[in-house]
Amino acid sequence: MTHLVVKDLTAGYGDARVLHGVGLTVGEGEICAILGPNGAGKTTLLRALSGMIRARGTVTLGGADLTGHPPDTLARQGVAHVPEGRGTFMPLTVEENLRLGAYVRRRGPELEADLDRIHGYFPVLKTRLKQAAGSLSGGEQQMLAIGRALMSRPRLLLLDEPSLGLAPLVTRELFRIVQAINAEERTTVVVVEQNAHLALGIAQQAHVLETGRIVLSGTAEEIRADEQVAQSYLGYRV
Amino acid sequence: MSNPTETDAAQERTAAPPTPPRPAEWWRSARRQWAAAAVLAAAACYAPFQLVPFHVFQLTMVLVYAVALLGLNLLVGHAGQISLGHGAFFAVGAYTAAILFDRWALPYPLTLPVAAGAAFLLGLAFGVPAMRLRGLYLALVTLAIAIFLVPLLKRFEELTGGSMGLTLAKPAPPAWSGLAEDQWLYFLTLVVAVAAFLLCVGLLRSRVGRALHAIRDNEGAAEVMGVRLSVHKTLAFAWSAMFAGTAGCLYTWVIGFVSPDSFTVNLSITLLAGLVVGGLGSLSGPVLGGLFVMFVPGIAQDINDAAPGVIFGLLIIAVMYVAPTGLAGLAGRLLRKIPRKE
Amino acid sequence: MAGFLQQLVQGLGAGAVYASLALALVLIYQFTGIVNFAQGELAMFSTYIAWQLTAAGLPFWPALVLTLAVSFAGGMLIERVIIRPVEGAPELTLVIVTVGLFIFVNAAAGWIWTFLIKDFPNPFPAGALEAGGISIGLSTLGVLAVVGVVMGLLYLLFRHTKIGLGMRAVAANPESARLVGIRVGWTLALGWGLASTVGAVSGVLVAPLLFLEPNMMGGVLIYAFAAATLGGFDSPVGAVVGGLIVGVAETLAGAYVGFIGSDLKVGVPLVIILGVLLLRPQGLFGRAVVERA
Repeated sequence: MTHLVVKDLTAGYGDARVLHGVGLTVGEGEICAILGPNGAGKTTLLRALSGMIRARGTVTLGGADLTGHPPDTLARQGVAHVPEGRGTFMPLTVEENLRLGAYVRRRGPELEADLDRIHGYFPVLKTRLKQAAGSLSGGEQQMLAIGRALMSRPRLLLLDEPSLGLAPLVTRELFRIVQAINAEERTTVVVVEQNAHLALGIAQQAHVLETGRIVLSGTAEEIRADEQVAQSYLGYRV
Repeated sequence: MSNPTETDAAQERTAAPPTPPRPAEWWRSARRQWAAAAVLAAAACYAPFQLVPFHVFQLTMVLVYAVALLGLNLLVGHAGQISLGHGAFFAVGAYTAAILFDRWALPYPLTLPVAAGAAFLLGLAFGVPAMRLRGLYLALVTLAIAIFLVPLLKRFEELTGGSMGLTLAKPAPPAWSGLAEDQWLYFLTLVVAVAAFLLCVGLLRSRVGRALHAIRDNEGAAEVMGVRLSVHKTLAFAWSAMFAGTAGCLYTWVIGFVSPDSFTVNLSITLLAGLVVGGLGSLSGPVLGGLFVMFVPGIAQDINDAAPGVIFGLLIIAVMYVAPTGLAGLAGRLLRKIPRKE
Repeated sequence: MAGFLQQLVQGLGAGAVYASLALALVLIYQFTGIVNFAQGELAMFSTYIAWQLTAAGLPFWPALVLTLAVSFAGGMLIERVIIRPVEGAPELTLVIVTVGLFIFVNAAAGWIWTFLIKDFPNPFPAGALEAGGISIGLSTLGVLAVVGVVMGLLYLLFRHTKIGLGMRAVAANPESARLVGIRVGWTLALGWGLASTVGAVSGVLVAPLLFLEPNMMGGVLIYAFAAATLGGFDSPVGAVVGGLIVGVAETLAGAYVGFIGSDLKVGVPLVIILGVLLLRPQGLFGRAVVERA
């Protein structure tokens, strides 16, 4: 069942167009990887999906039209975006960062249960609850960012380069957790990632974005098998 | 804030004045500027013989304010820094001239360089700590100076005449000129104002001017390109204070009286208001601002004592929204439309 | 010694007023990065509203509550109408706009209520507490108590409510705040409303001491700036501590440094601002930003 439908999406900054009519669909509970070189428009695509920049075209999530709404409205619609640079609230404590993730929800026992659930995924956060988020390491901040996003009980989770600046071991751990979250919560995930190996390892389907257009789409296996992709993004020949 | 397109638009609307025109355009506009300058010069020399003394006096004061605004424009319009205390440097120039005149009977032409120099040094002294950081602190420091100056002037009574101020003889017209006092003062002021204007143009066309524009437009980039920020900002502030001090000296010549209450914070704020309305970063802005500062409060006061403030306040905000280049920018836009119709 | 303590107490009383206005400045600075030069004038305007209400026969405390409510709404309105269009503009533009607001509000008050001074009722009783040879005016105690209560309420708001958490999130990272669903625009307006309310408190506290007139807050503003610079523009606690220090420094300098006397006290904030800029630019409590990427 398709969940996220993007049609003919055009977006950019000022006069500079970055996306030229991007279209894709993601099934409910699926992980979709967006691959592509630097400057292809991957981050722009996520920013357009979460309303951080204005875009033309249509975006629907579970049938509801998301096009053209500001990010705070989309957050209430169930879109959670973990932005490039993680968007940590540096001077606030780890716990406050997590609670901010649930800003659009009512306080209650469910919310406390969700906090516990997130501590389950990221035990390290539990030991740092009262610490300023700015003092966390890069990997911990990335975990915090994903934890914060999950606190909103998102219907769509957008991850922008979760591996950026992290040690390989930490990255692998992080992707394992994303996969676990996806499996347990049935959260639809769109992940933008330079590390195509990892992304294809957890995704059901993938799209390759080049200069603002989708040049290749398919299941993760198909994409992995594609010679061009292999050369450009995986670093080997099939 | 998080919506870049909106932010960009806001910045465009409110950004400092536009970039200079391309060389060809510049040449054409330069020729027009020279023609305009010649007409203006002729009118400026002719006017005092046609007007009654009070109007000549008013015109002289417009020039005095214009010199002060020239300095403020250098700082705000060209270097993008804010001063809420230029009235204080104006006062320093005025009092320096008055005291030299009063106590040591210095011939008045000599008071001008001393007054200008005193303001320059003071600007340098306060610019050094304030300019190490963001422009905001300069606004705070200058405001504090402007507030502090009035009680300070009142305190050193034997030198400054305290609250009563100092009354001085105005420079007398030499016999050979055949001019009346008001006309003589007018021409003295005009000569200084033109010299200040040329100096300012020279400064802006030099490396200094380019450095200032670089700082205003993008501080980070300017620093990367090797502009020594703090040096240029501090110097811009000192130059700017110097122009204000020069204007203060002219003020003393023209009015023949200084008192602390003429130089309150209101003067500083009025100067800033005049400059913003006249046009930040343009050459004609200070003159238009001088006209504004001289005439608008008087006219508005007829409605209500508070009317000048209401008008100033609203105009400043309105100008920042719709016409960041002020009256000068609007006038420029109108002038540019005329040749196109030909 | 008793004389010194007496001056100290007096300084704390003055400092409490500076602290409250500095708090208002810091509130707006934290959210919007704007130093609101009109803050003092807005406080003055609020004080006139309180005066008008009491002049119309309302008892002091209900008049105050009503004034604070009006100030809150007024602050929000100003953010929405005047500040919103220049949000994100260069600092120069923002400073000029708030200076324009300063001139406008000052003149508007003069237009409505004239520039003649007005007697403002002192909400606190006239007596004084005698202890150990020093006497502490009840009104000084009252001022300190009110500022303490304001601080406490702000602390509760910021630390223990969802709105307060949202406001701190906006101050820390507006873009991220929007992504978690916070309506940033309204939060900024809320910040202005809150600042106007806190500023109104300082105006009402200072009016009985200075007489009410449109230029009443001009002098206080520069002390508040010194307080905020000293405490750190991003620290509410710093604003209060800075305010108290500035008040004490000013009073002691006026009393014990013969040259300064009562007339040159207004040089104290200038010296403090310059000193802080030279020695510790981020202020006593300000964060010198240290973050791990």
